[in-house]
Amino acid sequence: MPRARAGLVAVIAVAAQVSSAETLHVSAAASLTEAFQEIGQLFERSHPGAAVEFNFAGSQVLRTQIEQGAAVDVFASADLVHADALEASGLLGPYQVFARNRVVVVVPAQHGKVGRLQDLARPGMKVVVAGATVPVGRYTTQVLGKLSAAGLYGDDFQARVQANLVSQETNVRVVLSKVALGEADAGFVYATDAATATDKIRVIDIPGRHNVIAEYPIGLLVKSPAPEKAKAFVALVLGEEGRAILLKRGFAR
Amino acid sequence: MPLPDGHAGRPPSSLLWLGAAPLVFFIGLPLVALWLVSSPTELVRHLSSPLAVRALWLTLKTTLVATALAVALGMPLAYLLARVPFRGRDVVDTLVDLPITIPPVVAGVALLLAFGRRSLIGRQLDVLGVQIAFTSVAVVMAQVFIASPFFVKAARAGFEAVDGRLETAARTLGASPWRVFWTITVPLARPALLAGLVLAWARALSEFGATMMFAGNFPGRTQTLTLAVMTALESDLETAVAISALSLALAIAALLAARLAARRWSAPLA
Repeated sequence: MPRARAGLVAVIAVAAQVSSAETLHVSAAASLTEAFQEIGQLFERSHPGAAVEFNFAGSQVLRTQIEQGAAVDVFASADLVHADALEASGLLGPYQVFARNRVVVVVPAQHGKVGRLQDLARPGMKVVVAGATVPVGRYTTQVLGKLSAAGLYGDDFQARVQANLVSQETNVRVVLSKVALGEADAGFVYATDAATATDKIRVIDIPGRHNVIAEYPIGLLVKSPAPEKAKAFVALVLGEEGRAILLKRGFAR
Repeated sequence: MPLPDGHAGRPPSSLLWLGAAPLVFFIGLPLVALWLVSSPTELVRHLSSPLAVRALWLTLKTTLVATALAVALGMPLAYLLARVPFRGRDVVDTLVDLPITIPPVVAGVALLLAFGRRSLIGRQLDVLGVQIAFTSVAVVMAQVFIASPFFVKAARAGFEAVDGRLETAARTLGASPWRVFWTITVPLARPALLAGLVLAWARALSEFGATMMFAGNFPGRTQTLTLAVMTALESDLETAVAISALSLALAIAALLAARLAARRWSAPLA
């Protein structure tokens, strides 16, 4: 349906060009919110006159926006799938993995009904996940598959947990807030997200052998309106200072 | 010099059209675009995807229940506001208007805090094993919250416009108050009631923000057409456009129905 795409491209492109060209536009996975805001402040301090504007959302949303012509300089995704897709369509230049993450289960800090991983499969538990196109949603499915295959909680563990799913959210932070509000009994998020709400939630770890390693790629958009600044920003993320901030926020190298 | 019609001293039509056309085009163009971007066969093909079909059924079911509730609960309130002077009527009036003006997502947060699991009401319900969030009931509640003011406003205006002398005449002829209400007041207010009903249904149909906050997003249970558009937009643009086109068709049908109803049932006595 090329006409639909052309129409949407026009609309989004106009919307994107309203903002100033002096500003660096970084589209980053929702899980990077705190770390990238801190790196952004560092960047603005070391580059007087430069401003960084972030668009934090599910990586799949950011990818769609870029495909539809959004003027973006830097893309940082929570998985390789969306970066690969943008690279294959010639929109994203070469990318580098700059951080790693893992999946955990979060439960409300008080009155939790889920105490251990096997409780996730108990009938009536309300489990919130991210949608299938959201990186953490895909990782969640992989983790459940691994747990099922391991046979620890029965080989129908995945099916029983999936029967308890009550919502598929568009990014990891919405999953976290539904658990923090106490509306859901459990949710699957990244370890780094869990660390941002420790007063409201409790973490149940998923052993490494059943877990996945989420890889975060970062790259420049081929049509970046501000390529020089974009390069400097990526260098900052990959450099010592950027790494220190990411480590502090719980990301692995 | 003969004037064209009753509005003497009016600016020339051509100038008025010049001023009015931009808005007509601005509203019309995007809506036309929704239907022009893909062929009807393609639209139908994308609409037959499981995502779209489940969302359509859920939306029809929930909006019908929500509209019925809006009418059943809105009718007494509208009549009260129209006919019974009481202290604090302005307060109630403003309160009922609020869902029209507050952002729907704020309404969703408010509903969550009032009826969510951790709320006063939600905790009692939880003890009884009743949970609202993440169920179709939450979808209906969000729709009633957002849409019922549209019915109440229209119905109140309808009741106010009914000539009180007709009701008094019926009473003097021996009709009971209930009989007067159902055989005089309601038929005379019917165009307004129907218009309000259709508007409320259309608003329930387009509900998004409060539903997303309060009910979540799960196919077949809480994923209505608007949430399906958002979900599809992330992976399947064509389906998102097709569902949007369908929603537009439903909205047009609603407006046409409201107009036809108003014309067909315009009370002969009025």
